[in-house]
Amino acid sequence: MRFKQSVVLATVTAALVAGPALGCDGDSVDPSRMAVAGGSITEILFALGAEDLIVAADRTSNYPAAASAFPSVGYVRALSAEGVLSLNPTLLIGEDDMGPPEVVAQIRGAGVETIVIPEQHSAIGILAKVRCIGEIVGRQDAAERLIAEKLTPISTKIAAQSARSRGTAPRGAVLLGLRDGAPLGAGLATSGNGLLEMAATENVFDTFSGWKPVSMEAMLQANPTFFVVPERGINDAGGLDELLKHPALRLTDAARNRQVIVLDGMAMLGFGPRTLESAAALADAVHGTPRHRETLNGSM
Amino acid sequence: MSSAPANLADSPAQGSTRRSRYSVLTVLATVTIAVVLVAVSIGAIAVSPLDALLERADRLVERTVLLEIRLPRVLLAAFVGAALAVAGAALQGLFRNPLADPSLIGVSGGAAVGAIAMIVLGGSIAVSATAMPYLVPLAAVCGAGAVTLFLYAFSRRFGNFSVTTMLLVGIALNALAQVAIGAFEYLSDDTQLRTLIFWMMGSFGRATWTSVLPATTVIALAVALLLRDARRLDVLQLGEADARHLGVDVDGLKQRVILASAAAVGAGVAVAGIVAFIGLIVPHLVRLLGGVRNPLVLPGSLLLGASLTVFADLVSRTVVLPAELPVGLVTSALGAPFFLWLIARIKPQ
Repeated sequence: MRFKQSVVLATVTAALVAGPALGCDGDSVDPSRMAVAGGSITEILFALGAEDLIVAADRTSNYPAAASAFPSVGYVRALSAEGVLSLNPTLLIGEDDMGPPEVVAQIRGAGVETIVIPEQHSAIGILAKVRCIGEIVGRQDAAERLIAEKLTPISTKIAAQSARSRGTAPRGAVLLGLRDGAPLGAGLATSGNGLLEMAATENVFDTFSGWKPVSMEAMLQANPTFFVVPERGINDAGGLDELLKHPALRLTDAARNRQVIVLDGMAMLGFGPRTLESAAALADAVHGTPRHRETLNGSM
Repeated sequence: MSSAPANLADSPAQGSTRRSRYSVLTVLATVTIAVVLVAVSIGAIAVSPLDALLERADRLVERTVLLEIRLPRVLLAAFVGAALAVAGAALQGLFRNPLADPSLIGVSGGAAVGAIAMIVLGGSIAVSATAMPYLVPLAAVCGAGAVTLFLYAFSRRFGNFSVTTMLLVGIALNALAQVAIGAFEYLSDDTQLRTLIFWMMGSFGRATWTSVLPATTVIALAVALLLRDARRLDVLQLGEADARHLGVDVDGLKQRVILASAAAVGAGVAVAGIVAFIGLIVPHLVRLLGGVRNPLVLPGSLLLGASLTVFADLVSRTVVLPAELPVGLVTSALGAPFFLWLIARIKPQ
């Protein structure tokens, strides 16, 4: 599908020339003691060599492994006002789902600067995030270097990979919640949908938005040719074989061809630099080449 | 209305009971004040309340923590705890059933469904954002009221509830509430979903003066209404027919208790989510301390409910610093074993 490739290329080009990050209000803040709520932000701070500015991180900050050593402010959506303030931060920096809103307002009321990093589920969004955080910590150079040396080559690689599927973009599904009952499928306006788009594939669940439970029949009707699941999903299901026997998945083309792409949960949906790598791994697995019709396991 | 039978409360033989009632309540009031003071003084940030109140604390952070974060939070925990405990005690009196607890019999669930319905549907019927802070609690009160009314109608239809029947009906109602919540989860967008999760866990972390003041006003009125009916609830324990003969307006009493406990629970759930078991544990502890008479049990529950909930919240916000636990987790950890013990104590008929 030429269109998809040109979208990816346009994306890369647009991001390269975009300059300062859109909607990012990062200058004139004091980043010397940062409380971080969001795994992708922590990941980017480490990538920019700014981890010594972090005083605390939330529970989704599990990459790199050293990030787990920071005091935990709990789950990104359930912060504790006094807990965060007790770390005496100069800045609370979080993803757009940081909350609850009342708590964030209280922290701001106590004189601590709070910044919500804009979230956009695309390659542009990831680059913008890197630039925004680079601006906040005053490491624009490192941010541009990360983009030029690591992220742009990945985007280019995805474009090349997607060129292998001439005319037909593979149609797949991102699934969560495989423990019991109907699995949750990623509809439009989700991080899962963003991942599929980044890999130049089509989302079979383009008729609804948000994460919704998908019934057996709806799954059969959508008939994805591949599944993308987080590592934890495989464990919950009790292994790949068990997962493929799941009644809702069993009869799809994806299950018949054992076309399941397993990725680390945060790498897959966190929309930090690793999500771009995840998209590349996904693109490599599903575009064109028949030799990749094997299961790609733990590619990251 | 004010014709509560004098013989039950004021007979000469009651003198010593009354004295012990006052001493129990005095002890509980002292405990409550102490717990509240401790809770206001302790937290992730060391700040002396005296310094902050006298504006001696020069740092903005310390004053904000005390006056804008900790104080409304402790106050909210105290009021919600009092509301749940008094409503629990009153419902136990109304249904003549020792296991009637707002969270067990589905009243809290009904309140949560009401609030969630307003959050999810309110957006689509173009409710203005300024009205939402008032409409959500109102919807919660309606939800709690609907469940309480249903329970009452159900008990009338099938004669009196046995302890077991009430719990079974509670299971069914809670299951229905889960269905409704699940349906609203399906309908909600991602932002709404985040607020929904909060209802099921229970937390005082979102307390701000703007949400605390309306809630505490409603709770204060509802609890006052319930306390006035304490003696009449005692008479009701003899059975409805006997209570009528003794001059109690039974129907009016029931309406007031249903309405007031729904208002108390609904207002509490709307700002703090579902905080389980307070309405069960507290009245029983008070009865263990000072006997079964409602003129003691209701005000005693008010005080002990407030102090226990403030204490549970103190635990929830200090054990895993700098993060916090949902307070519902703490109250359930205390309440569930107590519940088992209560069931074991009730002998099968």
